[in-house]
Amino acid sequence: MKQFQKQFDALLEYWPDEDRALRDLRLKAFDRFKEIGFPNKKWEEWQFTDFSLIKNSNFHLSWNYDLPTIPKNIPGRIQNTHLIFIVNGHYQPQLSDIPKEVSVAKGLEHFKSNPELYAIENSSNPFLSLNTSMMNSGLPIYIKENVIIEKPLQILYLTTDLSDQLMNHPRFSFQIGENSEATIIEHYIGSTATPYFINTVSKINLEKNARLNHIRIQEEGSASNHTAYTSYTLDSESQLEATSISSGSKLFRHNINLALNNKGAYARINGLSLTEKNQHHDQHVVVDHASDSCQSHQLFKYILSDRSSGVFNGKVIVREKTKQTNADQSNKNLLLSPTALMNANPQLEIYADDVKCSHGSTTGQIDSEALFYLRSRGISKQRSMELIVGGFAKDIIDHIKNIDIKSYVSDHAFAWLEGSIKNV
Amino acid sequence: MLEIKNLHAGVDGKAILKGVELVIKPGELHAIMGRNGSGKSTLANIITGRENYEVTSGTVNFNGNNLLDMSPENRALEGIFMSFQYPVVIPGVNNTYFLRAALNSKLKHNGLKEVNAADFMRLIREKLKLVEMDEKYLIRAVNDGFSGGEKKRNEILQMLTLEPQLSILDETDSGLDIDALKIVAQGINNFRNSERSFLAITHYQRLLEHMKPDFIHVLIDGKIVKSGGMDLAHELEQKGYSWLEE
Repeated sequence: MKQFQKQFDALLEYWPDEDRALRDLRLKAFDRFKEIGFPNKKWEEWQFTDFSLIKNSNFHLSWNYDLPTIPKNIPGRIQNTHLIFIVNGHYQPQLSDIPKEVSVAKGLEHFKSNPELYAIENSSNPFLSLNTSMMNSGLPIYIKENVIIEKPLQILYLTTDLSDQLMNHPRFSFQIGENSEATIIEHYIGSTATPYFINTVSKINLEKNARLNHIRIQEEGSASNHTAYTSYTLDSESQLEATSISSGSKLFRHNINLALNNKGAYARINGLSLTEKNQHHDQHVVVDHASDSCQSHQLFKYILSDRSSGVFNGKVIVREKTKQTNADQSNKNLLLSPTALMNANPQLEIYADDVKCSHGSTTGQIDSEALFYLRSRGISKQRSMELIVGGFAKDIIDHIKNIDIKSYVSDHAFAWLEGSIKNV
Repeated sequence: MLEIKNLHAGVDGKAILKGVELVIKPGELHAIMGRNGSGKSTLANIITGRENYEVTSGTVNFNGNNLLDMSPENRALEGIFMSFQYPVVIPGVNNTYFLRAALNSKLKHNGLKEVNAADFMRLIREKLKLVEMDEKYLIRAVNDGFSGGEKKRNEILQMLTLEPQLSILDETDSGLDIDALKIVAQGINNFRNSERSFLAITHYQRLLEHMKPDFIHVLIDGKIVKSGGMDLAHELEQKGYSWLEE
């Protein structure tokens, strides 16, 4: 905690002329963070994850002198996409390519005109408060109404070439205007063995009849910590297709909040988590059906090898007096090793009658019958396992509509599989 | 080609096969009949190398090589194939992709050039016709959403594609209606030649009527107690197995 206080003081000192209101927000948020503290085992929603590594670390905020030489070949670049490129927390406009329908605001302006997006009053999530107190990167993105942006926008947040243990608190906001359609890739990638800490907050708003494909890829460095808070707010008839692919970081905690606030909103949220060695991935999803005729579909899959562990906690809330709700939630986990561990807890809280809801969770190993079947056709054991595990992940990948993103994710997942199955 | 001598085997410490003797020569079709629990499927599983079966004594040789030392995939590459009694569903694994992977694995093993996607499609379309299967089954996941009869046809399709030397047909007739049975039997019959051998495991003579086996063996309590020709199958159909039991 001392280190975080030190860094917070340094931030205030580094930006002495910062806007008054923003400064007040930071101070309030940091007070809130100190009040809540880091999660411990007694917190029900956080009990399976140990945050002591972050708590007792020596992470320092990224300043301008941390900017490394920009690599010639940008890792993680997805073909045929627009680009917003951020390196070690520093936005690189000269290397970015933003479509004309997308406006990128200054953080301060955005805060001034949308203070509600920065409010932390009721949150018991310490990482949201921490992010708000030290937010130092990320961009507010606005897509105006009635436009269809064909080419996806890739936001590439690269952490590389660290001489020191760094932390960043990226703050994103994606506002998709009425009747507009876009595909946004929020991509965190690390190419360093040095420990670091990324704590993201992304607030995503779909206005009436807007359509967003949001693909979040987390392939941070193996010694890193990544905490994330993603909130989606959907207005009437809007449609969200969200996919979260995570294979990186030693510790990953992701809170996803989805609010279906107006009639006829539709959301699909999928997740694929790939863990090995001693990685720990913890995802909590809360879906709030607050209006009529809304649909939500969730499919979260984990593939765990070695001594890695996973947590999935999904909650669907259907509010009183809502009608014609259709919600399902499915969690499927595949353990590739006897020492891998999964904790799953799907929950439904239904306060209305007119609902169609289902949920379920299964955890198992590679089906030995399927394995024998493939081997009996002359396919090697290694390849057979790759086929079975790849088949397990396939429906998540197939839900990604854009062909270039799909092929990136597919290549990434299969490369992971080949590596981790060799160790089985 | 296949030579089984004094085979004793079991599972979980329970003896199931108690001295099986069987020789199958190139071009021959042997049928093994017997009640449930007599050890028919155990025999098939031991030949194909399924785990958890324990061979306590005896030998199984295939073309002079000791089969029992080989992994399931190597047995397949050497020319052994089993049409499963209960074909397994493999979610997310495309049937075409699987079939091509299997074929290429075999081609590679035989020192031949692997087949590309386009050539494979041409080849598989020909084979599909032989078992009267629709192309739509190729784009599905392996056995996913297939009816019982479709699964069995898919097994025969794999046999026709991989061209094994020895095909074990484990209850291939179960779950088939008369039309499907005819198609499957025809697929097998067309595939027969002087080099290819078969071991059919069945309860009934239905499939055997279509295939005309060279030998019929009766397996009771882990031993072959009687061997004969098609007449034996007819006799079993009429009298059952009890007259052969001590």
